[in-house]
Amino acid sequence: MKLKRFFSVLNGAAMALLFATPAFAAAGDTPDTRADWDELWHEVLVDITVIGVIFIVAAIYMLIRFKATNPEQVGTATRLTTANAIGWALIPAAIFMADDFYLAAKGWTVWDHQRTVPENAMEVKVTGYQWYWEFEYEDGTTTDELKVPVGTPVVLRMTSDDVIHSFGLPYYRLTEDVMPGRITYIWFNPIEEVETLVTCREFCGNSHSEMFTAVEAIAPAEFEKWLAEQG
Amino acid sequence: MSTEATHQIHDITHEHHIHEHHWETSWAPLVLVAGIFFLVPIGFSGHFVYENQLMTIIGAGLGVPLILAGVAKWVEEGMSHKNLVEGVSIVGLPIFIVSEIFIFLGLFASYWTMRLSAGINWPPEGTPEISTTIPLIMTVILVSSSFTMHNAEVKLDDGDNSGFNKWLIITILLGCVFLGFTVFEYNHLIHAGFVPGTNSYSSAFFSITGFHASHVFIGLGLFVAVLIPALKGKTNDSFVACASVYWHFVDVVWFFVVSQIYFW
Amino acid sequence: MSTATTTHDQEAFNLKEWIFTTDHKRIGVMYLIGSMAAFAVAGMMALMMRLEQANIGAQFIETGTDYNEWLYFHGAAMILAFLIPGLTGFAANYFLPLMIGAADVAFPRINAFSIWLFYFAIVLALLSVVVPDTPDIMWTGYPPYAVTTEGNTSFYVFTVHLLGFSSILGAVNFLVTVIYMRAPGMGWNQLNIFVWTTLAAFVLQLVFIPVLAAAVTLLLFDKYLGTHFFDPAAGGDVLLYQNLFWFYSHPAVYVIFLPAVGILFEIIATMAKNQIFNYKVCVYGGIGGVVAIGGEVWIHHLYVTGMPDWLRIGMMISTLLISVPVGLIVMSLWGTLWRAAISYNVAMMYSVAMLYLIMVGGLTGIPLAMTSLTVHLSETSFIHAHFHFIMGLFSTYAVFAAVYYWFPKMTGRMADNGWARISFWLNFIGINVTFWPLFIIGPQGMPRRYWNYEMFPQFEAYHEVATVGAFLTAAGVAIMIINWITSAISGPKAPANPWNSRSLEWTHAPNPPGPGNFPEAVTVADDWTPYDYNK
Ligand code: HEA
Ligand code: HEA
Ligand code: CUA
Ligand SMILES: [Cu+2]
Repeated sequence: MKLKRFFSVLNGAAMALLFATPAFAAAGDTPDTRADWDELWHEVLVDITVIGVIFIVAAIYMLIRFKATNPEQVGTATRLTTANAIGWALIPAAIFMADDFYLAAKGWTVWDHQRTVPENAMEVKVTGYQWYWEFEYEDGTTTDELKVPVGTPVVLRMTSDDVIHSFGLPYYRLTEDVMPGRITYIWFNPIEEVETLVTCREFCGNSHSEMFTAVEAIAPAEFEKWLAEQG
Repeated sequence: MSTEATHQIHDITHEHHIHEHHWETSWAPLVLVAGIFFLVPIGFSGHFVYENQLMTIIGAGLGVPLILAGVAKWVEEGMSHKNLVEGVSIVGLPIFIVSEIFIFLGLFASYWTMRLSAGINWPPEGTPEISTTIPLIMTVILVSSSFTMHNAEVKLDDGDNSGFNKWLIITILLGCVFLGFTVFEYNHLIHAGFVPGTNSYSSAFFSITGFHASHVFIGLGLFVAVLIPALKGKTNDSFVACASVYWHFVDVVWFFVVSQIYFW
Repeated sequence: MSTATTTHDQEAFNLKEWIFTTDHKRIGVMYLIGSMAAFAVAGMMALMMRLEQANIGAQFIETGTDYNEWLYFHGAAMILAFLIPGLTGFAANYFLPLMIGAADVAFPRINAFSIWLFYFAIVLALLSVVVPDTPDIMWTGYPPYAVTTEGNTSFYVFTVHLLGFSSILGAVNFLVTVIYMRAPGMGWNQLNIFVWTTLAAFVLQLVFIPVLAAAVTLLLFDKYLGTHFFDPAAGGDVLLYQNLFWFYSHPAVYVIFLPAVGILFEIIATMAKNQIFNYKVCVYGGIGGVVAIGGEVWIHHLYVTGMPDWLRIGMMISTLLISVPVGLIVMSLWGTLWRAAISYNVAMMYSVAMLYLIMVGGLTGIPLAMTSLTVHLSETSFIHAHFHFIMGLFSTYAVFAAVYYWFPKMTGRMADNGWARISFWLNFIGINVTFWPLFIIGPQGMPRRYWNYEMFPQFEAYHEVATVGAFLTAAGVAIMIINWITSAISGPKAPANPWNSRSLEWTHAPNPPGPGNFPEAVTVADDWTPYDYNK
C-alpha cells in the first residue's frame, strides 16, 4: 500500500512533468482509450526509469568507490548469514513483486477499457489484402480509406483474405492482427477531428511497407455526406 | 551421487588422460553430418522445391553412402574406444528421450487443436473408412518386439551370445513387419484418395504415424548397427541397452498414436 | 606443474587434427569462428538495411523483397547462428569442462557431431542467400505467408532442424557432463555461476527446441506436401504455428540471456575479487526461477492476435513476474561489487557496459509485458530497441567479453591493448547512437520490417542518426576482430593467471590447455569455491 502511494505521488509528479497539455476527458462516459494509454505509458516510463536510475547510480558508485588500490587487494565481503541471505531474497522479491502487481492492476484496468466495446459503437468491417485495406460500412458501402464521425465510438471487425496483416492505428494507440479464418476486433473513440493513418504491422511480403491508408475523424454531417457519395 | 562413486569415475578419467597425450580425432561425425546434409535438405529441396530430380539423385547418392560410412565408423570406434566415464550413455539416452517426448507432444498438440476446433465435423469430409484392425495387429507386433528385445538382453546378460543374436534378429524382423503394415496401410489409403493434403485429419494422420514410423526405422537402424558386430562376437553393453531403451520408448509412443489417431 | 601438456602450444598446426577433433576446446574455438562469421555476415546485412532505411524511398534496392531477404537473414543468423552457438557452443564448450575440472565432455564424438551440424547449418543458411527464391519470411516464419511465398522456406526449416538437433545433442552432452564429471569433492554449491546458467540454458533447449522443430516441420509439410495444419480454410489454424514457435522462442531468449549473465558473473567476480553475493538465492531463486517461469509466458508475443482476454491478462502477470527472478540475479550481480577490490581490463569494460545494457534492455521489457501498452507498441521499432539492447548488445557483449577475458587461456597471449579499448568505445558509442532513436520513434508509430516509411517523414532524421551509429559500431567490431587475430598470432605472452582468478580453468590448467586439460588430477576441498578471494 505504501508502495502504491509512493508510486502515485511519483506518478503525479510525472504527469506534471510529461504532459504539456492535460489529457482529454472522454466525451460522456465512453472511455478515451488513447488518453488511458498515454497515462499508463508515462506511469510505466517513470516506474522503470526510477528503477533503472537507482541501479545504475548504485553501480557507478560501487565501481568507483571499490576500485582496487593495489593488485594484491581482495574484496572483503563476507558470506551472508542464513537470515541475511533469506532477507536479501525475500525483501527485494517482495518489492519487485509489489511493483509488478501494481503495474498489472493498472494495465488490467486499461485493458478492460480497450476490450469493452461501447454499446452505441458504429461497426465497420475491415478486410486486409496483399497489399491494401478495404472497409465496409453498415450500409454495405465499401471504401479504401476509413472515415468516421467524431463523437461515435467505432468498432472494427477485421479479417484477412490472404496472409496475416495487422491493423496498426498509432494515433489511437491500437493494433490488432488481421488473420484469415478469424475475426478480431478493436474499437476506438474519435473525440476530435483529426486525419491520421493506419499502417500494416505484421510482415506480409513485398509491399508490407506500402500497406497504409488514411483514417479520418470528421464532423458527423460531413461524414453522412461523404458516405452517401461513396455509394 | 556418493563421493565414492565420484572418486571411482574420476579415477577412470584420470587414468584415461594419463595414457593419451595426443589430440583425439574421429572422422565419423563429420562424414555422418555431411551425409545427413546431402540426403535431407539437398535431397528434399531438389525434389519438392526446385523440382530437379538430378539434384535429388545427387543428394541421395552422396548422402546415403556417407551416412553408412559415418555410422559404421562410429560404431566401430564405439566398440573399441574407452569412454572417459563409463556407463553414462544409459543416462544420456533418457535425457535425449525427454526431447523426443516434446516433439511428439508438439505434433499431438497440433492435432488436438485441429480436432477440437472442428467440433462434431470429425472426421472431416474426404476421410474413408480407416481400419482399426490393422493398428491393433501392429500393436501386438510392436509390443511383442519389446518382449523379444528384452529376451535378447537377458541372453546377453547370461553371456549367451548366439541366443542374443537370435532374439535380436527376431526383434528386427518384427520391426520390419510393423513397417510393412504401415506401407500396406498407406498404400491402401492413398488409393482410396486419402493423401496428406486431403483434409486436416489426413494431415495429422500422415504426419504423426509417419513420424512414428521414422522412429521405428531409426530403432531398426540401431539394431542393425548392434547386430553386425554382434555376429562377429563383439557387443557393447551400454550400446545394446541404449538401443533397447529407445525401442521401448518407440513402443510406448505407439500406444498414444493408436489411441489418439485411430480410436478417438 | 607437470610438463606433459604445457608444450602443446608450440606444436605445429595440424589441419587434420582440427577438422576431425573431438576435443571440447577445439570444438569451442570452431564454434567461435563459425558464429563470428555468421555475426559478420548478418552484421553486413544490418548495415545494408540501415543504409536503405537512412532515407525515405528506395536507396539501392529494387523491390521490398531484397530488403526482406536481408532482414530474414539478419534476424535468423544473429539469433540462431551467432548468439546461441556463440554462448552455448563456444563458451560452454571451451570453459565449462575446465571449470568443473573435467578432461572433456561426456560424449566427445557427439560433441563433434554437434559442431558439424552447426557448420552445415551455416552452409545451408548461406546457400539460401544465393539460391533463386531466397527465403524472405523473417526469422519468425509465420504462415500463411511462409507457405504462400515464392521464397524457399525449406532452407529455413532445415537450417532450424540442423541447429536444433545440434543444440539438443549439446544439451544431453553437457547435462551428463555436469552431473558425472565434476572434479572429486565439487558439490553443487561450488559450481561456477556460468556452469549453472549453462545448465539452465541446456535444460530449456532440451525441452523447448523439439516444439520448434515440430512447428517448422509442419510448416514444411504445409508448403511442400500440401497438408493443412495452418490453413484455416481446410480446418487448420493460423495461430497454431505462432503458439508452437513462441513456446520455444520465448524460452530461447533465456537460453541466450542466462549464459550471458553467467559470463558476466565470472568476469565481475574475478575483477572485483569478491565472492558472489547471495550465491544460493542467485542460483536456485534467480536462475531456477527464470527456468520455471520462462516457459509460461510465450503469449506475450501473441498479445495482438485476438487471444482470449483471460489468457492475455494471465500472461501479462506471469511475464511481469519474470522481473522477480531476474531481479534476484541482478541483486547478486550488484552485491558482488559491494566492498570489492575492482580492477579494470577490457573484459571488465564490456562487463560494466553490460550492467547498463541489462537495465535498459530488461526494463523496456516491462511496458511490452503489459498487454494494454503492447497493443500500441507491438511490431514497432520500440521492440527493436528492446531486444537489440538485451540481446543484440547485452548478450552479444557477453561473447566479446568472454573472448577478451579468456583470451590468455585460449591463446596463451594477451589481447588487451589500446586497439581493444578504442574498439570498445567505438562500439559502445555506436550502439547507443543506433538504438536510442528507435526507442523514441517506436511509440510514435514507426513499424517494424519497413524498408520505406514515406507515411512518417518526421522519422527520417532519427533513421539517419541510427545509420551513422551502425557504422561506428561496425568500425568497432572490425577493429576488434583484427585485434583478436593479430593478438592471437603475435600478442605478448600471457602470464599463467593474468587476472588472479580462483576458478579451476585458471588455477589448474596451462595456457592453452592440452589434450585432457589438466596435467594433474583436480580435486577440490569441501570449502573451496571458484570465488574464495577473501581467505
Ligand atoms: C536475450 C533476449 C531477450 C531477453 C532476455 C528478453 C527479456 C524480456 N523481454 Fe523480450 N524480446 C526479445 C528478446 C529478449 N527479451 C526479442 C528478440 C523479442 C522480439 C521477437 C520478435 O518479435 O522478433 C522480444 C520481444 C518481447 C515482447 C513481445 C513484444 C511484441 O512482439 O509485441 C515482450 C512482451 O512482453 C518482451 C518482454 C520481455 C520481458 C518482460 C523480459 C524480461 O526477462 C526482462 C527482465 C529484466 C528486468 C526487468 C530488468 C532487471 C530487473 C530488475 C532491475 C528488478 C526490478 C524490476 C522490476 C520490478 C520491473 N520481449
Ligand atoms: C544477436 C542479435 C542481433 C544483433 C547483434 C544485431 C545487430 C544489429 N542489428 Fe539487428 N536484429 C536482430 C538481432 C540482432 N541484431 C533481430 C532478431 C531482428 C529482427 C528480425 C526480424 O524482424 O525478423 C533484427 C532487426 C534489425 C533491424 C530491423 C529492420 C526492420 O525491421 O526493418 C535493424 C535496423 O536497423 C537492425 C539493425 C542492427 C544493427 C545496425 C546491428 C549492429 O549492432 C550490427 C553490428 C555488426 C556489424 C556491422 C558487423 C561488422 C563486421 C564487420 C565489419 C566484419 C569485419 C570482418 C573482418 C575484419 C574480418 N536489426
Ligand atoms: Cu499487410 Cu503487412
Ligand atoms: Cu518473449
